[in-house]
Amino acid sequence: MSSEKQETLLKLTILSIAAILSFATRLFSVLRFESVIHEFDPYFNYRTTRYLAEEGFYKFHNWFDDRAWYPLGRIIGGTIYPGLMVTSAVLYHLMWLVNITIDIRNVCVFLAPFFSSLTTIITYLLTKELKGSGAGLVAASMIAIVPGYISRSVAGSYDNEAIAIFCMLLTYYMWIKAVKTGSILWATLTALAYFYMVSSWGGYVFLINLIPMHVLTLMATGRFSHRIYIAYSTLYCVGTMLSMQISFVGFQPVQSSEHMLALGVFGLCQLHSFVDYLRSKLTSSDFEVLFRAMVAVTSALTIIIGTILTFTGKIAPWTGRFYTLLDPSYAKNHIPIIASVSEHQPTSWSSFYFDLQILVFLFPAGLYFCFSSLSDANIFLVLYGVTSIYFAGVMVRLMLVLAPVMCILSGIAVSAMLNIYMKQIDPEKNIDKKKHKLESNFVMKSEIATVFVGLMTFLMITYTFHCTWVTSEAYSSPSIVLSARTHDGSQIIFDDFREAYYWLRMNTPENAKVMSWWDYGYQITAMANRTILVDNNTWNNTHISRVGQAMASTEEHAYSIMRELDVDYVLVIFGGVVGYSSDDINKFLWMVRIGGSTERGAHIKETDYYSPNGEFRVDKEGSPTLLNSLMYKMCYYRFGQVYSEGGKPPGYDRVRGAEIGNKDFELDVLEEAYTTEHWLVRIYKVKPLRNRGV
Amino acid sequence: MFRLFILIFSVISLANVGLGQEAISPDLIIRNAERSIEISSQLCKVSVKITVENVGKNPVSRYLFTVEPRVVKEVAYISAQASDPARTALRLTPVKVQSRPKDSFWALDLKDNLLPGKTVTFEVEYVVTDALTPHPTAITQKEKQLVKYVGNHYIYSPYRINKQTTTVSLGTRNVESYTKLNPVSISDTTDPMVVHYENNSPFLRVIRLERVIEVSHWGNIAVEETVDMVHVGATLSGPFSRYEFQRESHSGLSSVKSFKTILPAAASDIYYRDDIGNISTSHMRLLGDSVELDLRPRFPLFGGWKTHYVLGYNVPSYEYLYNSGDNYKLKMRVIDHIFDDMAVDELVTRVILPEGSNNIHISSPYPVKRLPDTKHSTYLDTKGRPVITITKNNLVENHIQDFELDYEFPKILMLQEPLLVVVALYILFIMVIIYVRLDFSISKDEVSESRMRVSGLLEKLLLHQDNRANTYSQLDDQLAKLKTNKDVNSFSYAIKNINQEHKTETTQISELLSKVKPEAPEIAEKISELQKLDKYLKDVYGQKQSLYVEKLVPGKIGRTSFVEAENALNKKKEDTIEKINIIMKTLH
Repeated sequence: MSSEKQETLLKLTILSIAAILSFATRLFSVLRFESVIHEFDPYFNYRTTRYLAEEGFYKFHNWFDDRAWYPLGRIIGGTIYPGLMVTSAVLYHLMWLVNITIDIRNVCVFLAPFFSSLTTIITYLLTKELKGSGAGLVAASMIAIVPGYISRSVAGSYDNEAIAIFCMLLTYYMWIKAVKTGSILWATLTALAYFYMVSSWGGYVFLINLIPMHVLTLMATGRFSHRIYIAYSTLYCVGTMLSMQISFVGFQPVQSSEHMLALGVFGLCQLHSFVDYLRSKLTSSDFEVLFRAMVAVTSALTIIIGTILTFTGKIAPWTGRFYTLLDPSYAKNHIPIIASVSEHQPTSWSSFYFDLQILVFLFPAGLYFCFSSLSDANIFLVLYGVTSIYFAGVMVRLMLVLAPVMCILSGIAVSAMLNIYMKQIDPEKNIDKKKHKLESNFVMKSEIATVFVGLMTFLMITYTFHCTWVTSEAYSSPSIVLSARTHDGSQIIFDDFREAYYWLRMNTPENAKVMSWWDYGYQITAMANRTILVDNNTWNNTHISRVGQAMASTEEHAYSIMRELDVDYVLVIFGGVVGYSSDDINKFLWMVRIGGSTERGAHIKETDYYSPNGEFRVDKEGSPTLLNSLMYKMCYYRFGQVYSEGGKPPGYDRVRGAEIGNKDFELDVLEEAYTTEHWLVRIYKVKPLRNRGV
Repeated sequence: MFRLFILIFSVISLANVGLGQEAISPDLIIRNAERSIEISSQLCKVSVKITVENVGKNPVSRYLFTVEPRVVKEVAYISAQASDPARTALRLTPVKVQSRPKDSFWALDLKDNLLPGKTVTFEVEYVVTDALTPHPTAITQKEKQLVKYVGNHYIYSPYRINKQTTTVSLGTRNVESYTKLNPVSISDTTDPMVVHYENNSPFLRVIRLERVIEVSHWGNIAVEETVDMVHVGATLSGPFSRYEFQRESHSGLSSVKSFKTILPAAASDIYYRDDIGNISTSHMRLLGDSVELDLRPRFPLFGGWKTHYVLGYNVPSYEYLYNSGDNYKLKMRVIDHIFDDMAVDELVTRVILPEGSNNIHISSPYPVKRLPDTKHSTYLDTKGRPVITITKNNLVENHIQDFELDYEFPKILMLQEPLLVVVALYILFIMVIIYVRLDFSISKDEVSESRMRVSGLLEKLLLHQDNRANTYSQLDDQLAKLKTNKDVNSFSYAIKNINQEHKTETTQISELLSKVKPEAPEIAEKISELQKLDKYLKDVYGQKQSLYVEKLVPGKIGRTSFVEAENALNKKKEDTIEKINIIMKTLH
């Protein structure tokens, strides 16, 4: 075999192994539990995908969902990014076409690992364009197992991000190609990839700001050329047109402030090339006058038009989610719903190491190698790296955007360093003896090289072990099924969530309305198939707030709210028996805050729920408002008689570590309809109004 | 009055003999009837032991059995047997009697014709599914389930009965009330018997059972049962308290926490799941002749609560599938065990046969309704597998019997699926080969093409150069030999071949050079440089050879001067080889 063929074979082998590995390492949860959808949002995606696969695209597009947000309902087709569902449905139908009768659930479960494999390949291609195939292979192998990405793409984690990272890297790859060649073909392909990205994730905003930023930087560094002009103009025009076809995006690309950078840079591109054209036709003094006049007129026009549009409301005001990116404390102070989501919290330093391990240290080295041979493409990479590390620091979930660039830059670093040292390992390979003599001030050159390569290998191996460990320990629990170890080491499974949801599905009227905190909304609609009041979409703050008020009020007051909302059943999550800490009592303060954040809930004040010492406690010291709230009563109804832990009094809450303060009470307006085996989920039925005179 | 009836019947029956309709024989009377009613479970199992006497003059071959018209529809299963030691099964056929259009009869073929004056004893057993009603219909969690049985004090029969006994077994002591009957002779045939008693046995009813049997000729039969189940006992009124359910033993007595399903002993890969995933609360026990599954629904079933699940397993086909040549026979159960004393409202059994099966006949142990055949397409199918569907309502445990399905399947079709895979892979590889080997670009890329041509030529060149280098090392060997043995003749003989080889290699290289020249002039330059160096090297060797042959062998040269001359030549040789190597490196 010639060396070229050997190289191809090697590349193919490494890439396929990386792709297979990236698929395989995400299957921990399927092997440990079962092929099941995880968490909360994926259940919504699963439900909509099933609808799409069964009913077809047009029905899906016009779908008005009356199962959620009772009594408001939700127009599903116009309020989601359909890319994920369409992808799965297309795959599903393709497979059925060739008689592969796979269940739609399995398509959904395995979609994320499948797209991770594709991401591995696209990472290779992208890095190859940026640096070379060696770096590409290293980057591909790294991204195959990087925990920051695995956290959102394990089998069953059927969320937008699962395919969005692939789309994002695909767009970048196309963009780099377009920048390098300046061909309309590649620019159009970029636009198509961008369209796919827009259709699948709201994070496309990052992309449509990064690319203009790249163009802007190229302009500032005097690297602007016809290639860039063609690439960007084509991308902007075609891409914007296409992105507006997604009904959830609509006219945002020309109206909202998040997209203004792209528009501005597009204008600037035209000006820049016009100016370049003029400069080539005019004498320098004439040009100077004209240039100044033009700058003045353009900036004045821009400001006037911008102001007019903002005041007439054509340009959307800065939305909260965008502010959180710039100012981490913004959301906490202004929108409790955004702050209450744990994945919107700022990232801690430890989680950087946890999710990226050695990539954190290789990242600066990669940046160095990019700077050392600066090109149009490398500038893009540097920008991508620097901006995403900022965003990842602001919000935990954006770690996902950072992970690929970390891998690419680390791949470049590792490959560049190994390139230097691998050659020096074997002294006989130094053909040129004279040159060798000049460098003879390097003592023990080959030994040092060997040590370095050995060290690198060691680091890579620890990286692999770390990634596998993190994946298996931290990111592979479906969260719908909980498992714990007993004293003797055997495993117990808490399947209470599904027990409760299935009970609702089988034994309540078809049109029953279930009230629960919004976290469980998607799961209830998908698994119990019952109407719910609020869900994880959180689009209507006042409605969620109303539910929060019901939970935080006394039974009597809550009853009027529940009557108003036509509630038939109320569902709460209670972890006090088994010690499941993310239950509703621990979320209760958020319910109070969100409940009190609107006008109708003005009577609910957070301070009322603290004990005189300012603590949130459920025992006798706790505030009476808390002890008489509906949530408290629903969680602890008849719990006062239960011995939950040996050596403790009855009614001992294992999560809060306290004996509850309000034990013997009866519920007046509710009756216990069902409680799961480990008391994790409790469902209450709202009693009908009393007969007159009773 | 009864006698009167019979008289009338006999007249009618005489008229009807020729029409093939059954008539009630006036010759039979029942000497003794012992009835036992077993209502300790949700089913009402009745067994009647009847002793019949022929008081007429003609032998009688058939006995007509009937039950109250109200109950007829609820009779799920009926069977009869003679009371001889072998307990021979007797055939029962449903018939109509024109004189009594409201009643349904089963004609029982006696084992032997009953001669006049003789008696015969046999036993009829039947199972009634809806005989028990919960009373009260709704209870709280603490209360016990009470049910009411409404039956008949007397055996309902078209024949005269001389003596009858009825035993009702309840399986409990807690009886609320029952109707009392004085032992007086009443000639009316119906008189309601009511028993109101406690019955906490599981009142589970399978609303619909879909049983799919997928036959594979590769040695496996997959069975999957989809079960819709409801608790038909007294419904739960008021709250469900988990605390009481867990702490107090008398709480929720009538609820069903789990039930046992018995599968064939060979069942493997068992799964138990529902619409939202695996149900983790089940246990399996391997018994000698069966697999016992302890199925626990996700939640305990109280009165009125429903559940739905899927249970699937595989069994090896050699236990159920028989063949001779291309004819196959499948022998499997129409319905299998779900729980003890089960009652199934609707059963749909589908049998999926391998693709290409034809000439399908099904025979069932009891009448079933066969639905139109359909097709089912799954992995590696082209035109779909035939699906045979049968359905039946109101089934009980006694219906667990085998059906037989005969079909033809040409063995050659076994190869179809592997061949499909082979062909698909073959096509894939062909496509890849075509894609890799052929050039699909519209405009030719001259540069890369010529680069490829050059690299091809260079590869050849390297080969030739290697060969040429080889000749030099051979030459070295020969020279060394000459130095020691000083045999000029053998040396010149050996060297001739070597030189010949060297010459051909050199001409080959020159040819390659001329080919490379138009494609890549700079590489051609290097090659001609190589050729020059080689010529020089050859010269050096020539000098060395003449030094050996002309001076050393004849001994015309002194030792020191020989060494000097040889060293000088060696030095030249080394230098040249070094240069050649450098050029070769660049050509790689």
